[in-house]
This record gives sequence, C-alpha cells and structure tokens, in this order.
Amino acid sequence: MAGIYVHIPFCKSKCSYCDFASFPDKLCYAESYMACVYREMSFRRKELKDYSFDTLYIGGGTPSVIDESYIGMLVASARKNFNLAKDAEITIEINPGTVTADKIEFYKKCGVNRFSVGLQSAIDSQLEDIGRIHTAQDFLDCAALLKGENFNADVLIGLKGQSPADVEYTIDFAAKAGASHISMYALTPEDGTPIYTDYLNGELPDSDEVAAMYEAGYKKLKQLGFARYEVSNFCKPGKESRHNLNYWHRGEYIGFGVSASSCIKNVRFTNTFDLDEYFKCIFTEHLPVITSEEVDEEGQKFEFIMLALRTSAGLDAAEYKRLFKTDFFAEHKAALAKTARYLEINGSSVRIKDEYLFVQNSIIIEFMES
Amino acid sequence: MRKPNQFIRNFCIIAHIDHGKSTLADRIMELTGQVSLRDMEDQLLDSMDIERERGITIKLTPVRMFYNAKDGNEYIFNLIDTPGHVDFTYEVSRSLAACEGAVLVVDASQGIEAQTLANVYLALENDLEILPVINKIDLPSARPEEAKKEIEDVIGLDASYAPLVSAKEGINIGEILEDIVKYFPAPQGDLDAPLKALIFDSYYDNYKGVILFVRLKDGSVKKGDKIKTFRSDKIYEVTEVGVFAPRLYEKNGLFAGEVGYIAASIKSIQDVAVGDTVINAEDPAEQPLPGYKKVQPVVFCGIYPLDGSKFNDLKDALIKLQLNDASLVFEPDNSVALGFGFRCGFLGLLHMEIIQERIEREFGMDIITTAPSVSYKVIKTDGTELFVDNPSHLPPQSEIDHMEEPIVKVDIYSPPDYLGPIMDLCREKRGVFKEMNYLDANRVQLVYEMPLNEIIFEFFDSVKSRTRGYASFDYELIGYQSSKLVKLDILLNGEACDALSMIVHEDSAYTRGRTLCENLKEAIPRQLFEIPVQAAIGGKIIARETVKAMRKDVLAKCYGGDITRKKKLLEKQKEGKKRMRTIGSVEVPSEVFMQILKTNKD
Repeated sequence: MAGIYVHIPFCKSKCSYCDFASFPDKLCYAESYMACVYREMSFRRKELKDYSFDTLYIGGGTPSVIDESYIGMLVASARKNFNLAKDAEITIEINPGTVTADKIEFYKKCGVNRFSVGLQSAIDSQLEDIGRIHTAQDFLDCAALLKGENFNADVLIGLKGQSPADVEYTIDFAAKAGASHISMYALTPEDGTPIYTDYLNGELPDSDEVAAMYEAGYKKLKQLGFARYEVSNFCKPGKESRHNLNYWHRGEYIGFGVSASSCIKNVRFTNTFDLDEYFKCIFTEHLPVITSEEVDEEGQKFEFIMLALRTSAGLDAAEYKRLFKTDFFAEHKAALAKTARYLEINGSSVRIKDEYLFVQNSIIIEFMES
Repeated sequence: MRKPNQFIRNFCIIAHIDHGKSTLADRIMELTGQVSLRDMEDQLLDSMDIERERGITIKLTPVRMFYNAKDGNEYIFNLIDTPGHVDFTYEVSRSLAACEGAVLVVDASQGIEAQTLANVYLALENDLEILPVINKIDLPSARPEEAKKEIEDVIGLDASYAPLVSAKEGINIGEILEDIVKYFPAPQGDLDAPLKALIFDSYYDNYKGVILFVRLKDGSVKKGDKIKTFRSDKIYEVTEVGVFAPRLYEKNGLFAGEVGYIAASIKSIQDVAVGDTVINAEDPAEQPLPGYKKVQPVVFCGIYPLDGSKFNDLKDALIKLQLNDASLVFEPDNSVALGFGFRCGFLGLLHMEIIQERIEREFGMDIITTAPSVSYKVIKTDGTELFVDNPSHLPPQSEIDHMEEPIVKVDIYSPPDYLGPIMDLCREKRGVFKEMNYLDANRVQLVYEMPLNEIIFEFFDSVKSRTRGYASFDYELIGYQSSKLVKLDILLNGEACDALSMIVHEDSAYTRGRTLCENLKEAIPRQLFEIPVQAAIGGKIIARETVKAMRKDVLAKCYGGDITRKKKLLEKQKEGKKRMRTIGSVEVPSEVFMQILKTNKD
C-alpha cells in the first residue's frame, strides 16, 4: 500500500480555524501552480517507479475552487508518472458552496470515486461564525448532486456556543443527506488563527464539554450505523478511507504541492509552505522540500504504535514482528502492565478500549522509550 | 612575647536586613581604594547569584583593605560582611568570633528592628566594641535623632558620636573609617606563640581542595608548614596562604591578628569543621580557641532527587554545601512515595529555601522537597522520649502518651497602627501575649510566645502583608510545651502518601485538612480515573475532594503532515511526566509536595 497526496492551496476565503497552507487571494495562480504540480510529479517518476499506489487524495485548501479541467489533468499526470492502480481510491475535497452538477460529473469522468465534503455544522449561525462560505442548505444541494456516490462529511465539535445536541443534529443531518462516511474532529485552536483569540478569551467549550459533544456524536453515529474505525472517523461498512488508513498503518506516501508531506523509505519530508518559494523551486528544476528527517528504528516503532492505537482495530503484534523482528509484548512489558486496564488484548491484536480512545495520549506515551 | 601588628582592625558590619549593610561595605571598599569605581559592581561582597537577586547577604565574605588614617599611619582593615536575616544568625556569630569590632548600621527612618537587636546581643556576647552608624540620612523620612535615642534607650549604647551617613550617596563614610581606627581595638595575641587560628568558614575548590577561612590569634603560618586541627589527627602540608582582596590573593605568610585563608589539599570536610582551631603539627598549641555556640536546626524537610537514580549526586551536593554552610545538617531517609533522599535540618525557612535553591542552581539538580516540619518531643506510654521531625516516623498513636512541641519567643517591632492586625494574627497562630513596649511614638515592641510550627506556616508573609511590610520579627527557641498534636494523613486514591503527612494541632487539623485537599485537587493533574483526595486523622476521614477523570486527551487529526508534530507533542507530554512521582497509581507533580505549605490565602 502506498498513497499519493496533492495539495491545492486555494480557497474562496479562509475559515477562522484554518491552519493549512491556503491562499484565498491567489486563485489567479491556479494554472501555473497546477503546471508545477505536474512537473513535480515528473521529478519523482524515476525514484518511485517500483511503487504501486492504491490511493490518490486531492486535498487543500479547497480543490473544488479551481477549474475542474485541472483535476482531470492532475489525475492523468498521476497515472502517467506512477503506477496508480486501476481501482485506486481517488478522493477530492469539495466545499458545498463551490460545486455544480457539471463539475461533479466531470470529476467522476476523471476517475474521482470518493468525495469529502466540508459540512462542519448544520447550524447556519455556527457556519457563519467560523467563516464558512456555505449554508446548511448548500450542503443538502451538494449532497443531492452526490446521490449514490461514496462521500464523507466533515463535522467539527468544540465550536463556540455548540452543544452536544447540536452535534447530534449535525450528524443526523449529514447521514440523512446520504453521507457514507463522517469525520468528527475536535476543533484545535492553533496559534495565529483568528479562532485562537476566542480560545485565549475562554469563549470555546472546555475539554469536558468537548468530550461530552464527542460522546453524544459517537452514540448518534453508532445508532445511525456508522462504525468508528479511527478516533475521529466513522463509516458505513466497507466505506473506510483507504488513503487515511494507509497513514495509520504507517504506510508510505508521497505528497505534491505546497506544504505536502511524504514518507518514503523511513524518511519523512515536507515541501515548502510558501507559494513563491514553491514556484521558484519547480521553475529551477529543484525539489521543493524544506525539511527532511530519517526516522530511526526506535522512532519507527513508536510511530507504528502511536498510529495503530488511534484505530479501532488497534495494533497487530504480528505485523510489528514482521516489520521490526522483535516481540511487541516482550518489548513493552512495562507499558502493557501499566496500561492493562485501558487495553483489550486478543491474540496478536492490541487495542485501546472504546471508552478510552478519546484519552489515548496518556496511554500511548507509556509506550515511548524514556 | 611580640604583639601582633597594631595597625590591623578586624571588624564586621551588623544590621537588620535592608538597612544598607552591603551598600556600606561597598562604599568602604571604594573609599579605601580596594576597588576602582570603574570595576565597581553593586554589592560586591554578595557574590552568589541568589544574593544579588534577592538583595540579601547569606554568606559572610571577608575582604582586606588599606586605609591611610588622619594620624598618618596606614591601617589594614579586615571587613567581614554578615547576613542580616534571622536564619543566618549562625553565620553572624562565626564572623563575630573573628573580629574585635562591629559597625552597627541602623536605618535613620526605621530605627531599631528585630534583627538589629539580635545581632547586637550576639556582638556583646563576643565582647566586641560596637560603633553605631545612622544610615540613609538622605531619605526624606529620615529621623536620625530618634534613631539615636532608640539606640540609647533600647540597647543602652552611647550613640551621641554615631556618624550620620548615607551609604547610597556616599555621605560621611570617611567619618566611619576614622572611628574604626579610633574606637576598635587592635588585635591581641602573641606572634611568637604556637599557631592558633580559628576556622570561621570554608568552601571547596576543585583545584585547591578545602579553602579554610581563618583568623589567626597567635603565631604564624606559611606555605610548607605542617598543620592539623585540634579535633583531628590528620596532618596536612600548607600549599598556599593568602588574604581576601576580595578574591583570593596569595601571600608569603599569615600572622597573628590577620584574617586570611589556608589551602592544604584537604579533601575531606570531616577533618576541618568550622569552629575548630588550626594548629602547627610540629609545634602544637595546647588549648583550642573557644569555638562558638553550635546552633541546632529548627526546621526540617525531606529533599529527594527528582530522578531517583541521582541519590548520590544529591549526597555530593549536600556534602559540598555543608562545607560552606556548617549549619546545614542532613541524614539519609526514605519515603514510600519519593524513594531515597535526605532529611535535612535548617536554621529557618529562608535558610531552607536558600539551600534548596543552591542545590538546584549550583549543582544543576532537580529536587523534590516535602513540607517543612519542626522537631516534636514524643513521650511514649513506656516513659521513653524521642524527637520526631518527620511525621512518617511518628510511633503508632497507641504508643504515644503525649507530645510536646517547640515554643519560641517572638519579638515583633511595628508601627502602632498595625497592632490590631498583628495581635489577631498571633492569636490565630496560638500565640500567648507576653508584653508590649512603646519604644517611641512610632515603634512598638510586642512579645509573644508561640509554637514554632505556626511560624513555619506562612507567619513571615502574613506579618509582612498585614503590616504592609512595616513590621519585623525575630524569634528564639525557649523550650518545649505539651500540646494536643495529631498526625494528619493525606490519602490519594485511598492510599496514604507518607510524603504529604504532617503533624498539626488538633484544633487546626480540620481546617488544614480541608485546605490541603482543596490545594491538592488543583495541583494534581486529571488522570484517566477519578482520584479521591482525602485528609484523615487516625483512620477517620475529615475532608475529601475529587480530581475528576480526564475526558479528552487526544490530537483529533493525524494525517500525513501531522505525524511528526504529533510525535513531538507526545514527547513533550512524556517529558512532563518525568517530573511526576507515582504514588500508588496516582501521578503527582513534584511541586505538590511543597504546595501543602500554602495553607491560607492572606
């Protein structure tokens, strides 16, 4: 398993919580940017010729704000440069306020077979408050266009003034609109974003309130037939995001575009976050990588544990042995003893009990070498 | 018999804290040309970082100067700076033993304060000549005539000739120098007699070994001499002698009457206790010099390495500090909660704080300290007696007939406006009123008898805050008194934590237990399970708080670009955990063990 990620750093306007590389005023550079992404792919062609990729994920920003023809060329470019499986999962993130029936039809023609729609909340006042450009109705219109498609709805919890009942309502709203996958994220106020001011002023719900929202959302999702397969991700049977599962299985992936990250042969590297810098690199035939770090074996082991324990399936000790040639249970005896009451161990499978998944950090750090 | 150099004056400066002693020392050094103005850093003698930061003197520091007096002679001045705070009385008494005179600095606006008196009595006990000096006359609030009158009325010294000075502005400092020549006696002793030198301080130098600070009473010492101390048989060859300029300055020899240092590649502190007498091994004097009053520690606490494996490093640090601070005592101890460490005894709370800070700064160690305690006398049912300063060493209740606690006499000096608040505070602290004296219209002396364990719990801060800093106090141990004392235990998640136990008076047990639980509830981070925090006496629970279980501890998103960041966040979280101790199943941050000090809100 290996995945391809492409970052489209454009959007209509920046949401108040957004910490991603996205430039609302630079849409005019979309054409040049996409040309550069195709070029960047070709730089990696040789290096990755032996890889077979199963997923392509087009994220952002808002990939749906640029002309759909670029998406077509993007998929073509990925296929031309890499071995992207015929039945690959190809996901695009879309914003309800930016799509038309024609656009969706075109995406499908290009091979896109999974959509991720940013809903965030089904309550308009909350959408407005966080600077979303769409309404709840826009989402319903968008969902109607996606009827019969495999699509995800992103839901945020921990918004200003939000209640557990609001979360239940939003989830119900998304499920009824036909979503087969729901991501329910706790808002993380990052320094430098407008919402951070709200956080500093104590206007956002505290951790107990967020936990209550998560709890309510989790129950609602279960009731609606969505199973949790990662702490923030829920889906109908068989609708897991293969691209994201690859991250949690510590698989390899290659990223293209501004700010994209990659992990190839235990080296983690990240592209520049600066658009001009990115152009400059590509124009001068250089890779736009700004940081690169080789992960040593201890680091690999910890990443493997920390990522696997995020998932409901948990960690597979047999896989651990295959990767690292050591016995997971022997190597982490002390940590296992200390966290025993929070874990469920079944043969070679080790998972955090359902009720503790939302407090996983304190459990996971016990597995970190001190 | 040849008399020592008659042009030497050995003296110290004594004062209440903040009356300007170190500044005056700086001025005197400046005026004698010891340091050029250009090199002048403020408070030159306060060489420890802590001293400069807190603006206090902790360690006595000697310095040698030359002064051309009006009589046409050149005099050698040996000045020994002394700490002012009550906790460091021991340091003061050591420096006094090396002097013939003491300059008594009194603040012109504040007059006599608690430690002024304490230090004067020490100087009188040591037969020192006292020269009163009225300082800070440049302040608008200065009232020098009243200060003089206080000195005469309260201490009984003739203050009519006391120089009126301002150390800060450099006013009239010359007058002090002349008075030192005039009023302080030259050293007595015999140059030809066998060597007798009083060790008044020491510290450890990595290259030279132990450096002994000495005052020579008789004889002389030079490089190559074989020396020993009175109480030990080990013989050392002197490798270097010299004076304080104020940094070490090597000389060919030291003679009776002089103050200086001796280095002799001494590696072990045990052989050269401060207060002992250095003698010549080949021509030993028969009688030691009188040492000085050995002081007993009154405040105790446990000190443990944060990292349990650093026990030996902590031991090294304490041994080296003891060399420099003979009043520090310690013995190995162990706690169920904190592992192996030391039970340490101090002269007071400030002394305790300073030692903790020096361990952390000078030795780069992270330590955990437990709440301070005093030493209780326990009379058992079988009639035997023992002293207990560690609550966890208290015998079972059934074996205790009764307990006694140390009582101190507290002297408080305050403007009359604050009498009410002070008396309220003393009552709250179980104080018994003894007397009240009006020193003058602006100054009242209050005397109380009070249990020492009430003083170690924020008495100092309370006095200061309730009198806006105008009152000062001093205390001395006067004995033990029977008292209704109980052991207050703290249970975390149902398990008693020995490091959090304390001995308290029965009447305040409930209040203290409740405040303690409240404080602990705030200080203990939420964990994956609910933690009951309980206070108990015997088996009876008297207070309870609950640390709620943590409900959210997760990084919501973790995709390709987040993995490195997430790993770093977890590493940081893990790092934070290292500063915690596990008690039963509960993780407790190391600061908590000191938190229990904070028992009230004023």
